[in-house]
Amino acid sequence: MKAIVITGASSGIGFEIARLLSRNHLVMGIGRNKTNCEKAEELILSENPDARIVYFVADLIQQHEVNRVADEIIAYLESNKNIQLHGLINNAGCVRSWYTTSDEGYEQQFALNHLAGFLLTYRLLPFIIKAKGRVIMTGSQSHKGIKMHWSDVMLRKRYNPLTAYKQSKLCNILFAKGLDDRLEDTGVKSYVVDPGLVKTDIGNKQTGGLVNLIWSIRKKHGVSPEVPASTYEFLLEKHPAPPGLYYCLFKEKAYSRQVTSENADKLFSLSQKLCGISYDRREKRL
Amino acid sequence: MNVMITGASGGLGRVLAIECALRGYNLFLTDINQAGLLSLKQGLERQFKVCIAVKACDLTKAESVDELMSFIDFHGIRFDMLINVAGIDYEGGFLSQEREKITKIIALNNEATLRITHDILLRRRPKRQFSLIFVSSLASMYPMPLKATYAASKRFLLDFALALRQELKNQNVTVLTLCPGGLVTTKEAMRGISAQGFWGNATTNSLEIVARKTINYALQGKSIYIPGLLNRILSFVGKILPRSWVATLIYFRWGKAQVKWQR
Repeated sequence: MKAIVITGASSGIGFEIARLLSRNHLVMGIGRNKTNCEKAEELILSENPDARIVYFVADLIQQHEVNRVADEIIAYLESNKNIQLHGLINNAGCVRSWYTTSDEGYEQQFALNHLAGFLLTYRLLPFIIKAKGRVIMTGSQSHKGIKMHWSDVMLRKRYNPLTAYKQSKLCNILFAKGLDDRLEDTGVKSYVVDPGLVKTDIGNKQTGGLVNLIWSIRKKHGVSPEVPASTYEFLLEKHPAPPGLYYCLFKEKAYSRQVTSENADKLFSLSQKLCGISYDRREKRL
Repeated sequence: MNVMITGASGGLGRVLAIECALRGYNLFLTDINQAGLLSLKQGLERQFKVCIAVKACDLTKAESVDELMSFIDFHGIRFDMLINVAGIDYEGGFLSQEREKITKIIALNNEATLRITHDILLRRRPKRQFSLIFVSSLASMYPMPLKATYAASKRFLLDFALALRQELKNQNVTVLTLCPGGLVTTKEAMRGISAQGFWGNATTNSLEIVARKTINYALQGKSIYIPGLLNRILSFVGKILPRSWVATLIYFRWGKAQVKWQR
């Protein structure tokens, strides 16, 4: 049986992907809030009693939580040998109005939108490689028009919520690019999906003032989260694997010129340091 | 530079620790939360090339602080700076809170702060300038109904710090009191600020900027740092109005915010 891990799966886009994929996959969803996870599971099962879905609770902003939930998922996969991990969807993301940090002292948008996926992918990679699976990040059009702030990635000098968000979304594509460069021979493929403007609560959770207000107005023009969900399914299921990196509504889309192998390598080495891991060593071991 | 930070694994303590590490200072971090300290130590060591020691301690217990001091003495650590961040508040009116929670505010914000300050001042690096920082609050400027104990505990710190500054001025010790408005340190703080609406947002300070300026001002030997122009104006207003008027005004404003918050 094919399994898909989805982060941020209890609401918004992640929930819709979970709802869609649980029809013919085992969905392993990760959500921050236990009650929301239970509600999501209940809702999916009430619509489709045959849906296969299991939720794990973790606050992925904290690295110790990423590692804990990775341990739980690995234990699950190891005790159910007939399940192959066909896909990992790093979808969980947040917006913060102010500079806030994770337990490790990392800026929260960078920690969740990029580092959490970077670390979780690393932990689950042996299973994904075994299944020749796919890794998909939820990106955004807003990754354009920004460069990486290499000298101050966490924006400590002067924090700006939009800069932090845009940069974290650029990180998603750089990560996908770096992963593709490294896993070329393994049959694993990475993508970033631009969901477009979607009616979710991302800008209203733990934000305040201006960000909250602007998002409340802006999201009214967004599409329902069901719309982008099918693009994820397409990228997971299509054979042979679609060749591009960045997709919106089933179509390949142009991405920022900042997405170069050089920048991807730079982000890889920084992220490896911040997570205390090494992808290169793992490849050699495999 | 060797810096001790209490309450280091919470929001403000963490950002002050990052700020110090960025400047290349060696850190001794303490907090009641051992797991939080270990996560932070790991995160800081991955980002900066500085020495970081951590040890969990319940500052409200004398034995726990004694144990911390014997650890410090055993390793012969001496300090150039102490940042007293550890502090607590429980929301709600005096009678709507449990008795022990109310006394805990004083036990940590005041008693424990005095305990650790006394011990660390005796462990200064000899013949060097020592910077002592207290984290008070904008709340220290007013008698605050519905936050009565907290505001009074912060007032205690402010007055104590100003007096201690004079006592120690000939001993190479400077004392800075930080009096911030709202800081987005926890989810609860975030909710509290949103509940206060416009004034909540307007009196909120950026954590990263407050941390940077706090260390700058401490090194310059300043005595009080109130972040943000609006907060400085508000604190001035608090000084010229009769204190009973201020209490009435604040009760009116906080009463509304609390109703909104508890909804």
